[in-house]
Amino acid sequence: MIGLVLYLLVGVGLLVILWVLARRERAPVEGCGRQFVEARQALRTLQLGLLPDNLIKRIFDREDFRYVMATSPGEIGELFLQERKRISLMWLRRVRCEIRNLMQFHLNYSRLHAKLSLLTEIRLALDFTLLLLACRALRMLLYMRGPYGAGAMVSVLTAAAGRVCASSEKSLAFLNPPALESIRRDSAGDGATI
Amino acid sequence: MLSLVLWLAGMVFEFLLLVRSVQTKTVTKYIYFYAYIFCVFAVSTVLYIERSKPNFYDAWYWPTQFATLAVGFGVVLEVVRQALDAYPGAKRFAWRASCAVFAVTFCYVEWRVARRTEWTTLAATVELERDLRVVEALVLATVLAIVFYYRIELGKNVTGMILGFGVYVSVSLTTLALRSFVGPRFDMAWGLLQSASFVFGTAVWTVALWSYSPNPKPPTTGRGGRGDGGYDALVRGTRAQLESVRSNLRGVAGS
Repeated sequence: MIGLVLYLLVGVGLLVILWVLARRERAPVEGCGRQFVEARQALRTLQLGLLPDNLIKRIFDREDFRYVMATSPGEIGELFLQERKRISLMWLRRVRCEIRNLMQFHLNYSRLHAKLSLLTEIRLALDFTLLLLACRALRMLLYMRGPYGAGAMVSVLTAAAGRVCASSEKSLAFLNPPALESIRRDSAGDGATI
Repeated sequence: MLSLVLWLAGMVFEFLLLVRSVQTKTVTKYIYFYAYIFCVFAVSTVLYIERSKPNFYDAWYWPTQFATLAVGFGVVLEVVRQALDAYPGAKRFAWRASCAVFAVTFCYVEWRVARRTEWTTLAATVELERDLRVVEALVLATVLAIVFYYRIELGKNVTGMILGFGVYVSVSLTTLALRSFVGPRFDMAWGLLQSASFVFGTAVWTVALWSYSPNPKPPTTGRGGRGDGGYDALVRGTRAQLESVRSNLRGVAGS
């Protein structure tokens, strides 16, 4: 009976995969350079917009909450807490989205390399999966304990995402050719030369 | 009557496929696939013509079924060759993963065969075909998982090849498993379902391979990126990153 279930699972599983294949949307083929520019954009957003220390401190710092509680009635404090929770969840959603963009970039890049290693790819996939799972766990923590109950988890996630950025930065180095940088430095600052 | 109609319909589609392959010159492009179609067409035609001879069909059905089953692996080979040809990294990944799946499943099947004492019954033959279909299904699923994971674009021809063959393998596997479990009572339904799925497969192939439609060319970075040192740098970054993530998690677990 167990054998029958296993065989049926393989058969039905293959049918499901085929159904997904039949319904798959075609990716735009014209976007050769676009994918890389988007990945570059994702990396910049993560480094400059979503992961800087001061922004994370601002969102998750208890001082703001203490100040509001000390100077305003309890309802205002509650409202503040709700808003901060909403902001922290929005921030997390953006981080997750940008990590997925980076993962997509890695896949688009590595599939073309003849030297691709099976083991390394599996390990990298696990790494990205763990990071995304950490995002999910943090989301649950934020829902349950609010923005000030997940401090340690936020630090871990930020550090891990920062390291993903560092490794992606290396692979995206070719998007910053030295010649282009020198032209940019020599220009008047308004980009007119370029 | 219905089984005869399905048999004839399958032969018509196979004939159409072979004629179109010569007209559109795709026969040289998808050589393994058309070898399989030719093999199935030849077997079906001979069995159909000689079906009135006493015991001919019964004597030749299973040997020819195993021959076409073996040639059927050529379709999986063709899928890997065509779908991933422009992606050396993903192709390498697919070959290794497929070989591993093939080796593990085949060893398991061999082990089961070695344990079997009786070989002449229909039940044993059905079980052997079912096990070999499992190998095909798992290898096909592995290749498709890689196609999805790396978001590889497939052309109409290859998509049709995968869909047609996949549905046939999947239905065959499911019905063979049920046949082993239910017994001879299921024979009628089994024969009809297997024939119907094959006719469905050949119909999909006829539509998908009516004209030549190759896979879209992959987008490139413009720096030639195949086999250069870029991947090594990526690997080094990845390993460093893995270690740091692990140590971070350990730190939190310990706190």
